[in-house]
Amino acid sequence: MSLLTGPMRKHLDGHKELTSHTELVKVEAGSLVYIPLINGNSTAVEVLVKEGDRVKVGTMIAKRNDHFTVPYFSSVSGTVKGIQKMMHAGLRPVDHLVIENDGKNETEQPFGTLNYQTATQEELVSFMMNAGIVGCGGAGFPSYVKYRGCKGIDLLIINAVECEPYITADYKNTSLNMQDLVTGVAAMLKMSGAKEAAIAIKTTKKDFIPTVVEAFKDYSNINVKEVPDVYPMGWERTLVYEITKKRYEKLPGEVGVIVNNATTAIAFGQALSKGMPITHKYVTVSGDGINTPANVLVPVGVKAADVIAACGGYSGEDVLLIAGGPMMGKTITTDQFVITPYSNALTVLKNKPVNQVACLRCGRCSDHCPAGLQPVRINQAEKSKNVAMLEKLSIMDCIECGMCSFVCPSKIDVTEGVRRAKRYMALRAKK
Amino acid sequence: MKFNFKPSPNYRDGQSTGRIMGELTLGLLAVFAFSLYYYFTNFSASYGLRAILLMITAIVSACGTEILWCVFTKKDILNSLKNSYPWVTAIILTMMCPLSIEYYALAVATVIAIFFGKLVFGGFGQNIFNPAAVGRATIFASFAGAAAADIVTGATPTSSMAAQNWIINSAEGMSSFLKPFGGLGNMFVGLYPGAIGETSALVILVVGVILAIRKVIDWRVPATYLITLFVLAAGVGLMHGAPISYALFHLLTGGAMFGAVFMMTDPVTNPTSAAGRIMFAVGCAVITIVLRLRSNLPEGVMYSILIMNMLTPLIESLTDGQQIKMKSKNIRNLAILFVAGLAITLLVGSTIKPVAAGSAEAGATNGTETTYNVTQHGFQGDNQFEVVIDTAKGEVVSVKMTEFNDTPGIGDGVNDDYLSQFVGAKSEDDVNAVDNVSGASYTSKSAKDAIIQALNAGN
Repeated sequence: MSLLTGPMRKHLDGHKELTSHTELVKVEAGSLVYIPLINGNSTAVEVLVKEGDRVKVGTMIAKRNDHFTVPYFSSVSGTVKGIQKMMHAGLRPVDHLVIENDGKNETEQPFGTLNYQTATQEELVSFMMNAGIVGCGGAGFPSYVKYRGCKGIDLLIINAVECEPYITADYKNTSLNMQDLVTGVAAMLKMSGAKEAAIAIKTTKKDFIPTVVEAFKDYSNINVKEVPDVYPMGWERTLVYEITKKRYEKLPGEVGVIVNNATTAIAFGQALSKGMPITHKYVTVSGDGINTPANVLVPVGVKAADVIAACGGYSGEDVLLIAGGPMMGKTITTDQFVITPYSNALTVLKNKPVNQVACLRCGRCSDHCPAGLQPVRINQAEKSKNVAMLEKLSIMDCIECGMCSFVCPSKIDVTEGVRRAKRYMALRAKK
Repeated sequence: MKFNFKPSPNYRDGQSTGRIMGELTLGLLAVFAFSLYYYFTNFSASYGLRAILLMITAIVSACGTEILWCVFTKKDILNSLKNSYPWVTAIILTMMCPLSIEYYALAVATVIAIFFGKLVFGGFGQNIFNPAAVGRATIFASFAGAAAADIVTGATPTSSMAAQNWIINSAEGMSSFLKPFGGLGNMFVGLYPGAIGETSALVILVVGVILAIRKVIDWRVPATYLITLFVLAAGVGLMHGAPISYALFHLLTGGAMFGAVFMMTDPVTNPTSAAGRIMFAVGCAVITIVLRLRSNLPEGVMYSILIMNMLTPLIESLTDGQQIKMKSKNIRNLAILFVAGLAITLLVGSTIKPVAAGSAEAGATNGTETTYNVTQHGFQGDNQFEVVIDTAKGEVVSVKMTEFNDTPGIGDGVNDDYLSQFVGAKSEDDVNAVDNVSGASYTSKSAKDAIIQALNAGN
């Protein structure tokens, strides 16, 4: 740990044992599925089907059409019923395309397969774009953007760290689809032009590492890189620093690195070899508010309520339902939102009261902030609306990882204070 | 079914402020337990009991002040008390005081520490000064004489060193200075007179390491403080040819160890950034040594903390920003601070002069009896003695004080009656077998030194 900056990370109890070795539960879509027409924060979309159209599993139904291109696909076969505004996992009402499921699961390949070994770099990038491969770590960022015109990349990092507590979906997906991971990583490595790839896995996953090493034994330039079991090891900046000891301003490309999630690589591998986009997701359903925590394989567009029902339902009447893990996932006051192509978890926790006391200025939040910020100072400045100080504290570097609230011994909602500061500054900038 | 909304994260570490303060309390009590052991075994049950009663007095005063405050401000008493931790201030304050302090003085100081040191700023977490240090400063300023006369524990290393102008310029001088306190080893263990809880560097260090591992205190602060203090003291020592034990003495004496572990680490009055805490600790070390060397105060640790508390907001704003980008700037500022601190310390160090060793001049001789006129440093000034030695038998015939320069009303307990006890003394041991005059240990010591010197000169 550094004398002047603190550890900037921390081991936390992941509760991964709840789901890492349980049987995969397959959830079938009900009579209706709802495909969310949103990617990232963008709801710019061109709908390609109209009410009454027949679609199959894999049919392209819409397309994000602003500065990025991201196609949306149907996850069931059936009939388009129209567009409905619903609560989205991102905590805002969003248009969803409603499809009536005929239960036949007829499929169609929206694009052909592609042999990455013979394809050119450009072909691979446009294939990735058309296959709608998005970052499956939770952000849903279109992956092709990272590779489009990339130059001077030395290292591709495949992020299989999964540092968010409770979540084991990447682990499950990787264990069950190792061959697709190999294809995806090899193809990404070719696209990136990097000399080598590192698959980052927590050093504590002792049973998992040998199986990945074995799967990649024919690739001398793709190696497993063990990383410490700390949060937020899976954050791009923390991971790049851990592996390369380099820091960058905006994007990891500055230090010759591209980072992609393992599940993203698997999705890409499946698209290349099977010609199918992301229509189903591995989702971890865990927490002390769930009767039988498990990993589920669920079509995109299925409601959270159905997924939770498949896992034995809620274990209490008063819960926090979180889309994602407990650190970064948002609580939603309804279970009528749906699984997206980049969902990876539903965490249900019993609602326990938190006893908040006065800040004792212990500085733990500043010591552990992975972005090197000072959440306690930001909170102070926010309370007094001290604009000059907020500017100095570079609050926009905050990724809201939740570390500051986690470590706070006074149980203050430190992260929320930083969010307030960010909103305040954003509003000021608009004026 | 109820789905609650709470902003993320909805996952919390087990560590809590209550637990931190609880463990800190236990750590303090462990150090206090050592002090009790010292007073019960080296003195008597009444001394040990007094330490316990003092502790109870302070805790009751602290909690009482908080309770009254809650009554007047219409707050829930139990809940406020539980989240305000007044007993920590009380325990720290008690442990900084000498055992001889009067109960009322400690009680008043505790009330002032809690009320003016903490509550008026808005309570726990809002105060800008370390409350216990405020209490101790109050005692220094207002109750310096409030000491129970029947509690005599002997001269403390700190006040003895102050009487030497905080410099001893030879290895022999240093070792004979340390002798009454059992040498550095015993000072490290802590079996010597001093403030109730500040003497045992060993116990404080062990407790400090445990608390640091358990993340109750930030290890950076005591580590930086003690290293800086050592370097500065060694620098001053080098200028005057003092041995390395002089620098170590600085670490072991007074409240250095106790202050470093229990007071400078008080997060409330500290900067929150790692770099800021290191600056804070360096500043404390510089001020500690400057106050020790040149001020009228016997001790500098507590005032160094209060002064640096005032600078905390300044340090905070100096280190504000993205900490990775601030790193080079922080290192530069730290370097400037350290170099400036070293320069100031050496400058101040160059102005101090060691106390001149007493001189023994052989005077009139009458048969085998020789009169020696000896000058020895007392508390403030030099005292002169006329010692008559029978050089044949090698024993003291008579002792008379011819010039007195110590505090009137205190030092003049060393009168002819007292000095007559030394008649017949033959050796250093005989001289030291005579008890000091209560409250006038420096003057007593100057007399003893004079007699020993005359004996040595006559044999």
